[in-house]
Amino acid sequence: MKLAFTAADEQFREEVADWLNDNLRDEFTDIRYRGGPGDEHRFVDERKAWERRLADGRWTCIGWPEAWGGRAASIEQQVIFHEEYARAGGPGRMGHIGDTLTGPTLLAFGSEHQKAKYLPPIRDGMAFWSQGYSEPGAGSDLAAIRTKAVQDEISGQWKITGQKVWTSLAHESDFVFVLARVDRDSSRHHGLGFFLVALDQPGVTIRPINQLTGTAEFNEVYFDDAVCDAEDIVGAPGDGWKVAMGLLGFERGVSTLGQQMLFQTELDEIIRIAKANGASRDPDIRQRIAEAHIGLKTMRYNSMRMLSGREDGSLSREAMIYKLYWSSWHRNLGKLAMDVLGPDAELIESGSYELNKLQSLFLFTRADTIYGGTNQIQRNLIAERALGMPKEPRGQGK
Amino acid sequence: MNFNFTQDQLDFQDAISSMLRTEVTADSIRARWQNESGIDSAFMQQAHDLGLNSMLIPESLGGLGLTAVDFILLAEACGEVALPEPLVESVMVTTPSLVDILDQGLGNADVQKVIDGVLAGDVRVALGHTINPCINYADSADWFLLPDGDGVYLLPKEAVTLEAKTSVDPSRRLFSASFAASDAYLVADGEAGANLQRATLNRGALASAAQLVGLSRGMLQQSVSYTSDREQFGRAIGANQAVKHLVADVAVQVEYAKPVIYRAAYTVGVSPSRADFAVSHAKSAAGRAGLLASRHCMQVFGAMGYTWECDLQIWAKRAWALAREWGDEGFHTNRIHEWLLRKNALLGPEYTFGRGSLTDRAKAG
Ligand SMILES: Cc1cc2nc3c(=O)[nH]c(=O)nc-3n(C[C@H](O)[C@H](O)[C@H](O)COP(=O)(O)OP(=O)(O)OC[C@H]3O[C@@H](n4cnc5c(N)ncnc54)[C@H](O)[C@@H]3O)c2cc1C
Repeated sequence: MKLAFTAADEQFREEVADWLNDNLRDEFTDIRYRGGPGDEHRFVDERKAWERRLADGRWTCIGWPEAWGGRAASIEQQVIFHEEYARAGGPGRMGHIGDTLTGPTLLAFGSEHQKAKYLPPIRDGMAFWSQGYSEPGAGSDLAAIRTKAVQDEISGQWKITGQKVWTSLAHESDFVFVLARVDRDSSRHHGLGFFLVALDQPGVTIRPINQLTGTAEFNEVYFDDAVCDAEDIVGAPGDGWKVAMGLLGFERGVSTLGQQMLFQTELDEIIRIAKANGASRDPDIRQRIAEAHIGLKTMRYNSMRMLSGREDGSLSREAMIYKLYWSSWHRNLGKLAMDVLGPDAELIESGSYELNKLQSLFLFTRADTIYGGTNQIQRNLIAERALGMPKEPRGQGK
Repeated sequence: MNFNFTQDQLDFQDAISSMLRTEVTADSIRARWQNESGIDSAFMQQAHDLGLNSMLIPESLGGLGLTAVDFILLAEACGEVALPEPLVESVMVTTPSLVDILDQGLGNADVQKVIDGVLAGDVRVALGHTINPCINYADSADWFLLPDGDGVYLLPKEAVTLEAKTSVDPSRRLFSASFAASDAYLVADGEAGANLQRATLNRGALASAAQLVGLSRGMLQQSVSYTSDREQFGRAIGANQAVKHLVADVAVQVEYAKPVIYRAAYTVGVSPSRADFAVSHAKSAAGRAGLLASRHCMQVFGAMGYTWECDLQIWAKRAWALAREWGDEGFHTNRIHEWLLRKNALLGPEYTFGRGSLTDRAKAG
């Protein structure tokens, strides 16, 4: 165990801080601290432009191998990058899904053709991705998906038909990765394929879904004979589940480091408001601020422990507890934010239904315990997979 | 001692509940979001015809002379359908304050006139209190009962300046109110004014506590029905213990909040300015139940519960707002510990329901 950064790491930190200081200004001043969870629909064009600026500085996809334009940054360096990015008020990353989900998945499971075709535009901040897993009948029970992909025997091209739902930011994206059934007689996690699909085509219809925040960050995505080239299925037909689960592993890995930094800025903001409006004199609020701090530090130490010594971004078993831990912590933070605001928590500053940052935080944390596997499903996984407890009886999956 | 409601009270609740369920649907609430006043006038007329506006006005003034205990179940029923109009506040908080003013021989000629208007159903009064930054539905009020220092003022709407605010809950139509405190409008001052404001706070907190319990019940019903219908892994999601336990935990808190509220209603009916302890207990229990209900019920709806289209948001957002209005949990638990830790606090088993007469006599003797 050695809990310190090296001199080289500290030099890297300086490099990141300097670059951000030189670039996150002028036309990008307005997007500082914007576009985080609950605010993702804001400043989309500006944030896409910011991705290109990041790319110019080689600050997108820093964990990728150098051959694909990354920096092969160590875990420590990635931690440092996220810390400095948050400290500078770096905006919510439009390229997040491509950088941390599509990229690592293609690097692990993709063909050379797929890497050459899809990685450079992600790396350059030119292509944005969304995640097409959930369907109306397949939420917690992901293996129940019914969207199907049929291959043309001559051209080899796939035609995809079905409906995805809750697809975050599909309306701002260029591509979606789709989990679909390639074998019509298959069931559950057998007979699935993992497809890379362009959204801008006649067979795809995207309908935003309004959220209780009054904004629309997620969508229904309808596929009606949407086309996908023979080369654009990741892994073999039938390997879809394996690829999809591999991707979920990345979702719980390094990509979470940036999220914790965001949590830190939120907590700092809550503390600032509590001091300003006098809520910090309330003994109950003081206790809860301390608890929030303790919870966040604990989360951080555990993440570092999880990632330690795993340069490939793979995870140790402790990773299974992470989603449940952070979503519950964040939900409590949202409640604390509202209690610190006091009677004003209910009031929306602008005339239209546009929530302020802490209100969005509160409402958004209500989704944290749902997406990416609900808290209940996480507990089942911990009990059944990690601890080996007897499995709860399930119905006959359709 | 009898903690039960009379058959008359229960029958009246049944009648009002079934009227509310037919008249105040989620669709009709969404329709209110679109209309200019946010009011369904036909519904308000119906509520008036059923005598709700005159319930808590003494018979000597032409009302029905009933008490907070008689109305508390109706307040719950209004919460259960998430009624947007501030009917409960008006019947349980504003009108009794006006009556208090008359009872104490305070006020001016306007007070009687306004009460007559309320009885006739053509005057609406909005009430402000320093604990709330805003007044709900202030734009449709004809008169305002507003505090300034210890003073309480009854003002015609022309004398009040409103500024519209937006609430997280689209059903609420909030306004901040300001006015010039002129003696012409003064209806209570000094100790009497302070006492009146204190009684008002207790009535307000009780009104929102009762609605919170109703709102929670409404959310419970929606969750039971959704989790029985929605299937994952080939069976209803409600078949999973994890889901059942979330819902059951809410039911337990709601049921345990009820007797606390009924007890507070009793005390408020008898002596509103001395009901701090009972009311604070009720408001914190109901607030906690309401927040837990919105959290757990939203959770069992999955992503669906996070959409604008899902009616659950109507209930959940109201619960978030009411849990804070008239003092949040922190405020009310503070009042409780201040009361408990006073030097001469009347503690001990014999004080469960007020003064332990034996001990008092012993002390006196
Ligand atoms: C803001 C947001 C963004 C999202 N973005 C995306 C995206 O970009 N791409 C994508 O593919 N999906 C996305 N999702 C969908 C998300 O992954 C699903 O909502 C989630 O998997 C839960 O599925 P569901 O909503 O259908 O809930 P359901 O599966 O219907 O669950 C409802 C309730 O039942 C419980 N439950 C279900 N089964 C069990 C069980 N066996 N044991 C115990 N409890 C159970 C759940 O815990 C939950 O409380 C997003 C969701 C949200 C809220």
